[in-house]
Amino acid sequence: MKLKSFDVIVIGAGVAGAAVAREMTKYALSVAVLEKNAEVACEVTKGTHAIVHAGLSVNPLTPLKNRGELMGAAMMGQLCADLDVKYQRIGKLLVAFDETQVAQLKALMQSAKRLGLMDIELIEDRSRLLEMEPNLNPDVIAALHTPNTGIVSPWGLVYGLLENAQDNGASVFVECAVTGIRWDAEAQRFLLDTRQGPFSAKYVVNAAGPFSDKVAAMVGDTSFQISLTRQEKVIFDKNYQGAVRHVVRMLNNMGAPGDFICPTVYGDLMAGVEVKPTDDFDACHTTQPGIEEHVLRSSARLIPTIPASAVIRPFSGVLNQCAGTGEFVIRSAPQLPRFLNFVLGGSGLTACYAMAQYLSLEVFPTVADAADLKTRGDFNPCRKDMPHVHDLEPEELAELIARDPRYGHVICRCETVTEGEIVEAIRRGARSVDGVKFRTRAGMGRCQGGFCGPRVIAILSRELQIPPEAVTKKGPGSYMVTALRDDHSVKGEAEHV
Amino acid sequence: MSKIITHETDLAIIGGGPAGLGAAIRAKASGVKNVLLIERSEELGGVLPQCIHNGFGLHYFKESLTGPAYTYKMLQDAQRAGVDFMTKTMAIRVDGENRITALNRDRLLEIRPKATILCMGCRERSFGALRIPGTRPAGIYTAGTAQRLINIEGKMPGKRVVILGSGDIGMIMARRLTLEGAKVLAVVEIMPFIGGLIRNEVQCLRDFHIPVYVSHTIKEVRGTDRIEKIVVTRVDQNRQYIPGTEIEFDADTLLISAGLIPENELSRMAGISMNAITGGPVVDNLWQTSTPGFFAGGNVVHVHDLADYASESAGMAAANAARYIDGDRSQDLDIEVAAGANIRYVVPNRISKLQETVSFYMRVTWPLADATVRIGDIYEKHFQFARPSEQIRIDLPTKELAHVHGQLIVSCEGERAV
Repeated sequence: MKLKSFDVIVIGAGVAGAAVAREMTKYALSVAVLEKNAEVACEVTKGTHAIVHAGLSVNPLTPLKNRGELMGAAMMGQLCADLDVKYQRIGKLLVAFDETQVAQLKALMQSAKRLGLMDIELIEDRSRLLEMEPNLNPDVIAALHTPNTGIVSPWGLVYGLLENAQDNGASVFVECAVTGIRWDAEAQRFLLDTRQGPFSAKYVVNAAGPFSDKVAAMVGDTSFQISLTRQEKVIFDKNYQGAVRHVVRMLNNMGAPGDFICPTVYGDLMAGVEVKPTDDFDACHTTQPGIEEHVLRSSARLIPTIPASAVIRPFSGVLNQCAGTGEFVIRSAPQLPRFLNFVLGGSGLTACYAMAQYLSLEVFPTVADAADLKTRGDFNPCRKDMPHVHDLEPEELAELIARDPRYGHVICRCETVTEGEIVEAIRRGARSVDGVKFRTRAGMGRCQGGFCGPRVIAILSRELQIPPEAVTKKGPGSYMVTALRDDHSVKGEAEHV
Repeated sequence: MSKIITHETDLAIIGGGPAGLGAAIRAKASGVKNVLLIERSEELGGVLPQCIHNGFGLHYFKESLTGPAYTYKMLQDAQRAGVDFMTKTMAIRVDGENRITALNRDRLLEIRPKATILCMGCRERSFGALRIPGTRPAGIYTAGTAQRLINIEGKMPGKRVVILGSGDIGMIMARRLTLEGAKVLAVVEIMPFIGGLIRNEVQCLRDFHIPVYVSHTIKEVRGTDRIEKIVVTRVDQNRQYIPGTEIEFDADTLLISAGLIPENELSRMAGISMNAITGGPVVDNLWQTSTPGFFAGGNVVHVHDLADYASESAGMAAANAARYIDGDRSQDLDIEVAAGANIRYVVPNRISKLQETVSFYMRVTWPLADATVRIGDIYEKHFQFARPSEQIRIDLPTKELAHVHGQLIVSCEGERAV
């Protein structure tokens, strides 16, 4: 296959890679993003909790991460406004049920203030707490309020960042796993072997998240190791929209922020538990004790009015961080200054933009040719999201239907997603049922795709000009349907009766 | 100029399944001048066009029909009666003042009827709501979605199938998949008895030698891209896993047939009071909801056994809506109907007006033998068997109720049969 050459190649299309790719398009450089999956934003980003932290969990051992969290939280509003991404600064209540926990809250507040988080308040007036969060467990006696905590759509942020990067000239390649990297000292370029053939680049940014240590090892960099954590969560029915107003979180046994419940930017509620170590990236599964005894018990302790029967979906996410302190790794590989590791971790969603700027404005200039530091005059920071019928005012919707009747044809009943939106999502890069689901929310609602599933398969088949049997949930192997009466005969077998 | 079109009518019916069609036909027969039925799907009939098995219509048409044939006959009656239809039209908002916002490919509409009948039917309980542990690969469908894939789209959901839940659609799909060459490895039911009708248990499972596991559930789904394994376990009386009873199936597909949930998102927007057990609106014997001008019929109120009954109950709602539109709002009774011993629910929840008869629909909580259903102390009826899967209907002459005050408790006494 023909060699594809770029100035900058970013490996990985999660929040980290997407943020870096967009920042790098501010230079007059050609940028490509290589993603191994069929869809972008479909690993760590998809399973994250969607909370933009205010910087409460600062740790003297992780200065870069602290900076990312504090600056990231402050920058997120403007970024999301530019990129037309859903974001709400709703604040967090970290609650205490007894005097010991109140003391722990006070200690947290002191250390956070020392490291620069000023916008923080301990509320011990219970009537005020119940006014702020009416369904809060009345046993809560105090809460630490950080108004800067926000919620965002993690995948929405990736779509926004990447579409904006593409508007500014970047290219995105999916199903493009990198299998090997060589440095050609003579040509002063990296050669990358991928599932889509060879690529070459002057600079490589390793934003491969949970796989970033393996990618770094391809160029002999073994200076950091990734450790994995997993987190089980549930989504509650939209009927409970408004029942929780803040990110409400309890303290764990160590006196640190633990299990939580919060609204999402889409109007449903999410509850989850603190992260637990795992050694298996495929540990993206839920467990009975995890969901029944942990997530649901904690959410009921925080907000007792939301019953377990309101769960529409349990899920689990695997998150990566650098082993040890969990400090971000944003630096060149030893002996290869132009191979830049960009490895975030916990708080990566909050920090991605601030840290991408750190890489592009502080690290990159120390390794780049002076000629490569020329900025583009025509960088456009803004991107417009596709229409979402559910969010439109009646007059806007009527206008849209008049322009394109497909926006009047509802496909997903629960989330009111139309044919027009699904077609537009495919135009913007969705290649699978999950790609459509995360871009449009078709199938994310309470019936979980029961009604729209066959119709989404049919639209993907029509728009991508592939047979329905070739439509997948999330890339190769995850086929949705098979042909009627094919020759794949089924042999009889032992029946356990 | 606003692009939102206002549409005035006497009666709006939301949903064009067996209930909506039954309501539309009866409304016209009761003299309502303008009847507008809106349906979000491409075709009328609700789920019936994909129900290619027979057994529909035995009560309503006195003959056994397939789902499409039942739809066709109802549609002909409705068209002859002069009902206005809008398909591919979805109501997205309803307010308590009887204003309905709906959209289709042509326009955004505001429909302003004098009365509305809610006939949105029900949806299937999803895999997510069951909180089954494991991964989330491709190959998980509700039984009804699989039915659509095979019977409408002409595609198979997979080849080696486990079905969780023994509701009627699940059993019907076990047979359908077998006929289409798939292997149904197991029907798994958490209760100690089958959830659907006996006739389906016999005709769909036993006649096709499909293995049934009652008092079992799924403990784990495995697979990254597509389902690879399904782990089934026996459960005790409290539905807790019994260790050591696991069975692993090399399945590529999981179908869920674990109950139907009335679709009442629009009803909630209209401020209508809901019944926590049925999942439907609280209704009186006129099928009126708590919000004036809103009636409800069919599966949106409570899940019926047969499409015929959904058509019939929505028809009763329509006859009363016709009187409401004519200005007859009289109510002469106020009796609360409540579920007593061994009764899961009873509909209607209230009796507000003396009419010729009141039809009580109820389900028992557990299979009972030698069962006696009592309505207060004014009526009782004996049944050899009463099963949760089989709805009990009792028509009571209203004159019996004339002397009842306050509350009427419906109960059932019998021997637990499982």
